[in-house]
Amino acid sequence: MDERVGEDEARGRADPTSRLSFRSRLTVALIAASILPLAVFALVVVLIEASFIGPNSDPNIGRLLLFAAAVIVAAAIFFSYGLADQLSAPLRHVVAAMDRVSTGDLSSPIRVAGDDELARLADSHNRLAGDLERRNRELRRILAAIEEVSPRDDVDALVERTSTDATSAFGLIDAVVVMGDASIIEPEEVVPGVSRPLRATLRAGGEELGVLLGRLPATRRWEPADQDLLDLYASEMAAAIRNAQLFATVESQNAQLLELDAAKDEFLRGVSHNLQTPLTSIRAYAEQLDLAAPDRRLGIIAEQSERLSRMVRQLLTVTRLESGALKPRSEVVSLGTRARKAWEALGADDVRFDVDDAGGGWLAIADADQLDQVLWALLDNGVKYGERTPIHVAIARDEAAPRLRLTIADRGPGVADADRDRLFGRFVRGAEPGTDSGSGLGLYVSRELCRAMGGDLLLEPTLAGRGAAFTIVLPGEPGEEA
Amino acid sequence: MTSGAPRILIVDDDPNLLVLLADQLRADGYEIATARDGDEALRRLRTSWPDLLIIDMMMARMDGLTLAREIKAQADLPIIVLSAIDAGDSKADLLEEVAEDYVTKPYHYPELRARINRVLRRLGDKVPRQSLVLGPDLTLDLHRREATVGGQVVQLTPTESRLLYALAANLGQTVTTETLLARGWAETEDADPSYVWVTMRRLRQKVEVDPNRPVHLQTARGVGYRLTHHPPAGPNAADG
Repeated sequence: MDERVGEDEARGRADPTSRLSFRSRLTVALIAASILPLAVFALVVVLIEASFIGPNSDPNIGRLLLFAAAVIVAAAIFFSYGLADQLSAPLRHVVAAMDRVSTGDLSSPIRVAGDDELARLADSHNRLAGDLERRNRELRRILAAIEEVSPRDDVDALVERTSTDATSAFGLIDAVVVMGDASIIEPEEVVPGVSRPLRATLRAGGEELGVLLGRLPATRRWEPADQDLLDLYASEMAAAIRNAQLFATVESQNAQLLELDAAKDEFLRGVSHNLQTPLTSIRAYAEQLDLAAPDRRLGIIAEQSERLSRMVRQLLTVTRLESGALKPRSEVVSLGTRARKAWEALGADDVRFDVDDAGGGWLAIADADQLDQVLWALLDNGVKYGERTPIHVAIARDEAAPRLRLTIADRGPGVADADRDRLFGRFVRGAEPGTDSGSGLGLYVSRELCRAMGGDLLLEPTLAGRGAAFTIVLPGEPGEEA
Repeated sequence: MTSGAPRILIVDDDPNLLVLLADQLRADGYEIATARDGDEALRRLRTSWPDLLIIDMMMARMDGLTLAREIKAQADLPIIVLSAIDAGDSKADLLEEVAEDYVTKPYHYPELRARINRVLRRLGDKVPRQSLVLGPDLTLDLHRREATVGGQVVQLTPTESRLLYALAANLGQTVTTETLLARGWAETEDADPSYVWVTMRRLRQKVEVDPNRPVHLQTARGVGYRLTHHPPAGPNAADG
């Protein structure tokens, strides 16, 4: 606004006449028009008096004439101003009204009496303002209608709403949305005096979804600007309908995926149950028989069925980890106790095993079941890849944080450099041949489980005199009365 | 607990396991009844109530969860779930809500027996099945393993809720660390008093608005812990 005032001023300076208002210029023009003949007349009178009446005539006549001239001039100025003011008044009305329009007030029409050019100017202004106001109103309704739309809306409901909203926003007699190929619907001819057919294509992303058809009362005008607005509305609603269609597709695919996921879970539960139940019997009966009449072969049956169970569990854990369905429940556990128990479950009686607990009575915070899986996998690896060398477990407190570290080390050949980086991947086994009795998931599952419990699993650097060494890091707390 | 040997009803549709487990438990002096499916279990419950039920989670005719809910609707009988599915599974989570304990298959018999004994120890504890309101800042919903602390719902672990059960059964009175140890852990877990201390500290972090100034979970140094109302409710709440 300010900028425009500045522009006006600049233009005013360039053309000095425009500095005066229209009224002032009209006043000057009228004065000039009325005074000039008078001045000529006065000159003629003075000349006649000088030449015909002579110097001894009454000097009062001259003064009287001069006075009369002055009065007439004053009256002319006065009437000129009044006339100019009256003549320019409707123009000023128009200017003020246009100012109001430009600030957004479309409601007050200009009233100019009569049938002259100014009255017609006012009429066309009023019509313009009326049209603007109507389109504004339509635009507001359209925007409100578009705003209410959500991609979660039902597609059919959205199509229905597109026609009802169009009817009310544009003041149509009726409107209907026909979905599908719009080109097969022939455009109707416009017949004067009959309600006017309207159409707008529902187009979204270059694709024609359908067409919006309606009729406008014969009394209403329909300008290109109105058609533009209808087209805009149609394309916005088309986008909304397209979104709703896409959303519905995604939703149904999502529901299918969830169903599949649930089916997979149920399947895994079933498989797990069907494997673990007989394995439980096998192991328990083998143990029972072994107790009644000790036989090394029964011990092997028990151990191997346990190993099989562990592998089934590992597979189940992997799928749970990947779907994020495994939630560890942190309880208080003693790492030393847990490590010894895991060792007992492994049944590798011919391998030496010792635990060096320097944890200072600290307890780990972990899910006992899941920690058990990790310990079993690491100890099993230690026995397998450590070539039955002694297994050493060291428990220590972390200096930097309230954490405990449990390191399991063997004295075997250690981890080959080629294996170090890929060791924690899925289905990875050591490079050595003949050591492939595992699932190849042990370290992967173990690391993921440790991380899920707020800890980690690390491969220690190779040291002289030590084989492979893995460290379980877990949150810990002092075992003091509180 | 009624006099004589504890009575246990085992429900499993695998006959091998059923016979095996029944034999093992009978050998250890328990009185055992068995059922091959949920319907049979419910029929047996009409004539007599056992002290404890062991239910397999996956059964063909009526799954363990449905059966456990049916049973809990009739009576608050303790249930130990046997399952091939790890605890932490969505379905196992649901079961854990109704069950007293959860044993993963393949179970070690000594482990299962230790869990049975721990659950039997808490028989006779009277704990409300509804919310236990301990003050404006703390409400316990132990049957759901939940506490509401200052308007926030906090999940409790199975061990934490077991300890709170023992404390809530003796509200306002000190429960010894040994008792809490026996209620919270099975013998096979080789737990010692430091397990109770650390769990209590962690529990305090969960259920106290200011864990450094506990008002509900009080320590009786060298003896044990007690659970109290705050502010004290009723005339009898101050002692104990």
